[in-house]
Amino acid sequence: MDGNGTAWDTQPDDEDLRLVNALRVGDEVAFASLIDRHYDAMLRVARLHVATREAAEDVVQETFLGVIKGIDRFEARSSFRTWMFRILVNQAKTRGERERRTQPFSSLEGELDADAPAIGPDRFRSEGRWAGFWCAPPSAEHLPEACVLAAEAGDRLAAAIDALPPAQRTVMTLRDVEGFSAAEVCSLLDLTQGNQRVLLHRARSKARASLEQYLGERVEA
Amino acid sequence: MRQPAVRCQEFVELVTDWEEGALDDASRLEFEEHMAICPPCVEYVKQLRLTRAVLRGAAELDRRGPSAPPPAARAALLEEFRRQRGNG
Repeated sequence: MDGNGTAWDTQPDDEDLRLVNALRVGDEVAFASLIDRHYDAMLRVARLHVATREAAEDVVQETFLGVIKGIDRFEARSSFRTWMFRILVNQAKTRGERERRTQPFSSLEGELDADAPAIGPDRFRSEGRWAGFWCAPPSAEHLPEACVLAAEAGDRLAAAIDALPPAQRTVMTLRDVEGFSAAEVCSLLDLTQGNQRVLLHRARSKARASLEQYLGERVEA
Repeated sequence: MRQPAVRCQEFVELVTDWEEGALDDASRLEFEEHMAICPPCVEYVKQLRLTRAVLRGAAELDRRGPSAPPPAARAALLEEFRRQRGNG
Protein backbone atom coordinates (compact mmCIF):
# COMPACT_ATOMS: atom_id res chain seq x y z
CA MET A 1 0.00 0.00 0.00
CA ASP A 2 1.08 3.55 -0.56
CA GLY A 3 1.54 5.95 2.29
CA ASN A 4 -2.16 6.49 2.66
CA GLY A 5 -2.40 4.85 6.04
CA THR A 6 -4.57 2.04 4.80
CA ALA A 7 -3.15 -0.72 6.93
CA TRP A 8 -3.69 0.39 10.50
CA ASP A 9 -6.02 -2.37 11.58
CA THR A 10 -4.89 -5.19 9.35
CA GLN A 11 -1.79 -5.95 11.34
CA PRO A 12 -1.16 -9.64 12.00
CA ASP A 13 -2.00 -10.69 15.56
CA ASP A 14 -0.57 -13.53 17.63
CA GLU A 15 -3.08 -15.98 16.24
CA ASP A 16 -2.04 -15.07 12.68
CA LEU A 17 1.60 -15.71 13.50
CA ARG A 18 0.76 -19.06 15.11
CA LEU A 19 -1.25 -20.05 12.04
CA VAL A 20 1.45 -19.02 9.58
CA ASN A 21 4.08 -20.92 11.49
CA ALA A 22 1.83 -23.98 11.69
CA LEU A 23 1.32 -23.88 7.91
CA ARG A 24 5.02 -23.42 7.27
CA VAL A 25 5.91 -26.51 9.25
CA GLY A 26 3.27 -28.57 7.44
CA ASP A 27 0.48 -28.72 10.06
CA GLU A 28 -2.35 -30.29 8.06
CA VAL A 29 -4.95 -29.77 10.78
CA ALA A 30 -4.26 -26.04 10.71
CA PHE A 31 -4.66 -25.99 6.94
CA ALA A 32 -7.92 -27.97 7.09
CA SER A 33 -9.39 -25.60 9.65
CA LEU A 34 -8.31 -22.64 7.53
CA ILE A 35 -10.28 -24.07 4.61
CA ASP A 36 -13.34 -24.78 6.73
CA ARG A 37 -13.34 -21.38 8.37
CA HIS A 38 -13.02 -19.24 5.25
CA TYR A 39 -14.35 -21.29 2.35
CA ASP A 40 -17.90 -19.90 2.28
CA ALA A 41 -16.89 -16.26 2.63
CA MET A 42 -14.24 -16.72 -0.06
CA LEU A 43 -16.81 -18.25 -2.36
CA ARG A 44 -19.16 -15.29 -1.84
CA VAL A 45 -16.40 -12.75 -2.45
CA ALA A 46 -15.23 -14.59 -5.58
CA ARG A 47 -18.82 -14.57 -6.84
CA LEU A 48 -18.72 -10.77 -6.90
CA HIS A 49 -16.35 -11.04 -9.85
CA VAL A 50 -17.20 -14.21 -11.74
CA ALA A 51 -20.37 -15.44 -13.37
CA THR A 52 -20.91 -18.91 -11.94
CA ARG A 53 -20.53 -20.81 -8.71
CA GLU A 54 -18.24 -23.24 -10.51
CA ALA A 55 -15.92 -20.44 -11.58
CA ALA A 56 -15.93 -19.10 -8.01
CA GLU A 57 -15.03 -22.56 -6.67
CA ASP A 58 -12.09 -22.65 -9.09
CA VAL A 59 -10.95 -19.25 -7.85
CA VAL A 60 -11.12 -20.38 -4.22
CA GLN A 61 -9.21 -23.54 -5.07
CA GLU A 62 -6.51 -21.53 -6.85
CA THR A 63 -6.32 -19.21 -3.87
CA PHE A 64 -5.69 -22.03 -1.40
CA LEU A 65 -3.08 -23.45 -3.75
CA GLY A 66 -1.54 -19.97 -3.78
CA VAL A 67 -1.53 -20.01 0.03
CA ILE A 68 0.26 -23.38 0.08
CA LYS A 69 2.90 -22.12 -2.34
CA GLY A 70 3.18 -18.60 -1.02
CA ILE A 71 3.05 -19.02 2.75
CA ASP A 72 6.83 -18.63 2.97
CA ARG A 73 6.46 -15.23 1.35
CA PHE A 74 3.92 -13.93 3.88
CA GLU A 75 5.76 -10.98 5.38
CA ALA A 76 3.36 -10.02 8.14
CA ARG A 77 2.73 -6.60 6.63
CA SER A 78 -1.01 -7.23 6.83
CA SER A 79 -3.23 -9.62 8.71
CA PHE A 80 -3.25 -13.15 7.35
CA ARG A 81 -6.91 -12.83 6.34
CA THR A 82 -6.19 -9.67 4.36
CA TRP A 83 -3.23 -11.33 2.66
CA MET A 84 -5.26 -14.40 1.71
CA PHE A 85 -8.28 -12.41 0.48
CA ARG A 86 -5.97 -10.22 -1.59
CA ILE A 87 -4.83 -13.33 -3.43
CA LEU A 88 -8.48 -14.31 -3.82
CA VAL A 89 -9.63 -10.93 -5.12
CA ASN A 90 -6.76 -10.72 -7.61
CA GLN A 91 -7.51 -14.21 -8.93
CA ALA A 92 -11.22 -13.46 -9.12
CA LYS A 93 -10.72 -10.13 -10.88
CA THR A 94 -8.42 -11.66 -13.48
CA ARG A 95 -10.89 -14.43 -14.13
CA GLY A 96 -13.85 -12.05 -14.15
CA GLU A 97 -12.19 -9.75 -16.65
CA ARG A 98 -11.52 -12.74 -18.85
CA GLU A 99 -15.17 -13.68 -18.60
CA ARG A 100 -16.14 -10.07 -19.25
CA ARG A 101 -18.99 -10.40 -16.84
CA THR A 102 -17.69 -7.47 -14.85
CA GLN A 103 -16.13 -4.28 -16.02
CA PRO A 104 -12.43 -4.27 -15.24
CA PHE A 105 -11.77 -2.29 -12.08
CA SER A 106 -9.90 0.20 -14.22
CA SER A 107 -13.35 1.65 -14.91
CA LEU A 108 -13.28 2.75 -11.28
CA GLU A 109 -12.85 6.35 -12.36
CA GLY A 110 -16.22 6.09 -14.05
CA GLU A 111 -17.81 5.06 -10.77
CA LEU A 112 -16.07 7.84 -8.86
CA ASP A 113 -16.96 10.57 -11.32
CA ALA A 114 -20.33 12.23 -11.57
CA ASP A 115 -23.03 10.04 -10.11
CA ALA A 116 -26.57 10.44 -8.93
CA PRO A 117 -26.86 12.16 -5.55
CA ALA A 118 -27.80 10.10 -2.49
CA ILE A 119 -31.31 11.54 -2.74
CA GLY A 120 -32.94 13.05 -5.82
CA PRO A 121 -33.10 16.87 -5.75
CA ASP A 122 -36.90 16.79 -6.10
CA ARG A 123 -37.15 15.65 -2.46
CA PHE A 124 -35.71 18.97 -1.24
CA ARG A 125 -37.09 22.50 -1.43
CA SER A 126 -35.54 24.28 -4.36
CA GLU A 127 -36.29 27.90 -3.49
CA GLY A 128 -36.34 30.37 -0.71
CA ARG A 129 -34.76 30.44 2.68
CA TRP A 130 -35.25 26.71 3.23
CA ALA A 131 -33.83 25.60 -0.10
CA GLY A 132 -31.97 22.33 0.39
CA PHE A 133 -34.17 21.20 3.31
CA TRP A 134 -36.58 18.28 2.99
CA CYS A 135 -39.92 18.74 1.28
CA ALA A 136 -40.53 14.98 0.99
CA PRO A 137 -38.73 13.53 4.01
CA PRO A 138 -38.21 9.81 4.58
CA SER A 139 -41.23 8.32 6.30
CA ALA A 140 -40.91 7.14 9.87
CA GLU A 141 -42.87 3.97 9.10
CA HIS A 142 -40.65 1.09 10.08
CA LEU A 143 -40.78 -2.61 9.61
CA PRO A 144 -41.88 -4.32 12.78
CA GLU A 145 -38.92 -5.99 14.44
CA ALA A 146 -39.83 -9.52 13.36
CA CYS A 147 -39.97 -8.43 9.75
CA VAL A 148 -36.51 -6.93 9.72
CA LEU A 149 -35.25 -10.35 8.83
CA ALA A 150 -38.05 -10.91 6.36
CA ALA A 151 -36.74 -12.75 3.35
CA GLU A 152 -38.67 -10.38 1.13
CA ALA A 153 -36.84 -7.27 2.29
CA GLY A 154 -33.55 -9.15 2.09
CA ASP A 155 -34.31 -10.26 -1.47
CA ARG A 156 -35.13 -6.72 -2.51
CA LEU A 157 -31.86 -5.45 -1.09
CA ALA A 158 -29.92 -8.28 -2.67
CA ALA A 159 -31.38 -7.33 -6.04
CA ALA A 160 -30.55 -3.66 -5.47
CA ILE A 161 -26.97 -4.54 -4.60
CA ASP A 162 -26.69 -6.83 -7.61
CA ALA A 163 -27.67 -3.89 -9.79
CA LEU A 164 -24.88 -1.65 -8.45
CA PRO A 165 -21.80 -0.90 -10.55
CA PRO A 166 -19.12 -3.53 -9.78
CA ALA A 167 -16.82 -1.53 -7.50
CA GLN A 168 -19.73 -0.22 -5.42
CA ARG A 169 -21.23 -3.70 -5.18
CA THR A 170 -17.91 -5.18 -4.11
CA VAL A 171 -17.16 -2.53 -1.49
CA MET A 172 -20.63 -2.66 0.07
CA THR A 173 -20.70 -6.46 0.15
CA LEU A 174 -17.28 -6.68 1.76
CA ARG A 175 -18.14 -4.04 4.35
CA ASP A 176 -21.78 -4.69 5.17
CA VAL A 177 -22.27 -8.38 4.43
CA GLU A 178 -18.85 -9.92 5.05
CA GLY A 179 -17.86 -7.55 7.83
CA PHE A 180 -14.45 -6.44 6.55
CA SER A 181 -13.08 -3.20 7.99
CA ALA A 182 -12.49 -0.11 5.87
CA ALA A 183 -8.75 -0.70 6.09
CA GLU A 184 -9.09 -4.28 4.90
CA VAL A 185 -11.24 -3.27 1.95
CA CYS A 186 -8.73 -0.59 0.94
CA SER A 187 -6.00 -3.17 1.05
CA LEU A 188 -7.97 -5.88 -0.80
CA LEU A 189 -9.05 -3.61 -3.62
CA ASP A 190 -6.10 -1.19 -3.75
CA LEU A 191 -8.34 1.76 -2.93
CA THR A 192 -7.49 4.92 -1.07
CA GLN A 193 -9.60 5.52 2.04
CA GLY A 194 -11.31 8.42 0.30
CA ASN A 195 -12.33 6.38 -2.74
CA GLN A 196 -13.45 3.50 -0.56
CA ARG A 197 -15.78 5.89 1.28
CA VAL A 198 -17.15 7.39 -1.94
CA LEU A 199 -17.99 3.94 -3.30
CA LEU A 200 -19.50 2.85 0.01
CA HIS A 201 -21.55 6.04 0.24
CA ARG A 202 -23.03 5.63 -3.22
CA ALA A 203 -23.77 1.97 -2.68
CA ARG A 204 -25.39 2.47 0.73
CA SER A 205 -27.40 5.44 -0.53
CA LYS A 206 -28.87 3.38 -3.36
CA ALA A 207 -29.54 0.39 -1.14
CA ARG A 208 -31.36 2.61 1.36
CA ALA A 209 -33.45 4.09 -1.45
CA SER A 210 -34.60 0.62 -2.49
CA LEU A 211 -35.47 -0.24 1.11
CA GLU A 212 -37.42 3.01 1.44
CA GLN A 213 -39.33 2.15 -1.70
CA TYR A 214 -40.08 -1.30 -0.33
CA LEU A 215 -41.28 0.15 2.99
CA GLY A 216 -43.49 2.58 1.10
CA GLU A 217 -45.13 -0.23 -0.85
CA ARG A 218 -45.83 -2.12 2.36
CA VAL A 219 -47.54 0.89 3.87
CA GLU A 220 -49.70 1.39 0.78
CA ALA A 221 -50.62 -2.28 0.56
CA MET B 1 -35.77 29.65 13.78
CA ARG B 2 -32.03 29.68 13.23
CA GLN B 3 -30.91 27.80 10.18
CA PRO B 4 -28.40 25.01 10.72
CA ALA B 5 -25.12 25.41 8.82
CA VAL B 6 -25.69 22.08 7.05
CA ARG B 7 -28.76 21.66 4.84
CA CYS B 8 -30.58 18.32 4.57
CA GLN B 9 -29.40 17.93 0.99
CA GLU B 10 -25.80 18.28 2.20
CA PHE B 11 -26.43 16.14 5.27
CA VAL B 12 -27.35 13.06 3.20
CA GLU B 13 -24.06 13.36 1.30
CA LEU B 14 -21.98 13.67 4.48
CA VAL B 15 -23.53 10.82 6.39
CA THR B 16 -21.05 8.13 5.31
CA ASP B 17 -18.06 10.33 6.13
CA TRP B 18 -19.65 10.93 9.53
CA GLU B 19 -20.29 7.23 10.16
CA GLU B 20 -16.75 6.39 9.08
CA GLY B 21 -15.24 9.02 11.34
CA ALA B 22 -13.81 10.94 8.40
CA LEU B 23 -15.16 14.42 9.16
CA ASP B 24 -12.90 17.00 10.75
CA ASP B 25 -14.04 18.34 14.11
CA ALA B 26 -15.72 21.48 12.76
CA SER B 27 -17.67 19.58 10.09
CA ARG B 28 -18.62 16.84 12.55
CA LEU B 29 -20.00 19.44 14.94
CA GLU B 30 -22.06 21.07 12.18
CA PHE B 31 -23.32 17.67 11.08
CA GLU B 32 -24.32 16.70 14.60
CA GLU B 33 -25.98 20.06 15.24
CA HIS B 34 -28.14 19.48 12.19
CA MET B 35 -29.01 15.99 13.33
CA ALA B 36 -30.00 17.27 16.76
CA ILE B 37 -32.76 19.48 15.35
CA CYS B 38 -33.89 17.56 12.22
CA PRO B 39 -36.02 14.45 12.85
CA PRO B 40 -36.30 13.59 9.12
CA CYS B 41 -32.51 13.39 8.85
CA VAL B 42 -32.41 11.20 11.96
CA GLU B 43 -34.95 9.00 10.18
CA TYR B 44 -32.66 8.95 7.15
CA VAL B 45 -29.75 7.70 9.25
CA LYS B 46 -32.03 5.10 10.83
CA GLN B 47 -33.02 3.81 7.41
CA LEU B 48 -29.37 3.50 6.39
CA ARG B 49 -28.77 1.42 9.51
CA LEU B 50 -31.89 -0.63 8.95
CA THR B 51 -30.61 -1.41 5.47
CA ARG B 52 -27.45 -2.88 6.94
CA ALA B 53 -29.39 -4.79 9.59
CA VAL B 54 -31.60 -6.38 6.92
CA LEU B 55 -28.53 -7.31 4.88
CA ARG B 56 -26.80 -8.84 7.87
CA GLY B 57 -29.97 -10.70 8.82
CA ALA B 58 -30.35 -12.12 5.33
CA ALA B 59 -26.68 -13.13 5.29
CA GLU B 60 -27.14 -14.92 8.63
CA LEU B 61 -30.08 -16.86 7.21
CA ASP B 62 -28.00 -17.82 4.17
CA ARG B 63 -25.22 -19.06 6.38
CA ARG B 64 -27.56 -21.44 8.15
CA GLY B 65 -28.00 -23.28 4.87
CA PRO B 66 -25.77 -26.13 3.75
CA SER B 67 -22.23 -24.91 3.44
CA ALA B 68 -18.65 -26.07 3.70
CA PRO B 69 -16.33 -26.87 0.83
CA PRO B 70 -17.20 -29.63 -1.61
CA PRO B 71 -15.52 -32.75 -0.17
CA ALA B 72 -13.56 -33.48 -3.35
CA ALA B 73 -12.14 -29.94 -3.47
CA ARG B 74 -11.22 -30.09 0.22
CA ALA B 75 -9.53 -33.47 -0.20
CA ALA B 76 -7.57 -32.27 -3.22
CA LEU B 77 -6.29 -29.27 -1.29
CA LEU B 78 -5.23 -31.37 1.69
CA GLU B 79 -3.47 -33.77 -0.67
CA GLU B 80 -1.61 -30.87 -2.28
CA PHE B 81 -0.71 -29.44 1.12
CA ARG B 82 0.75 -32.81 2.14
CA ARG B 83 2.65 -33.09 -1.11
CA GLN B 84 4.22 -29.63 -0.91
CA ARG B 85 4.55 -29.01 2.80
CA GLY B 86 4.07 -32.35 4.54
CA ASN B 87 6.65 -33.86 6.79
CA GLY B 88 6.42 -37.16 5.00
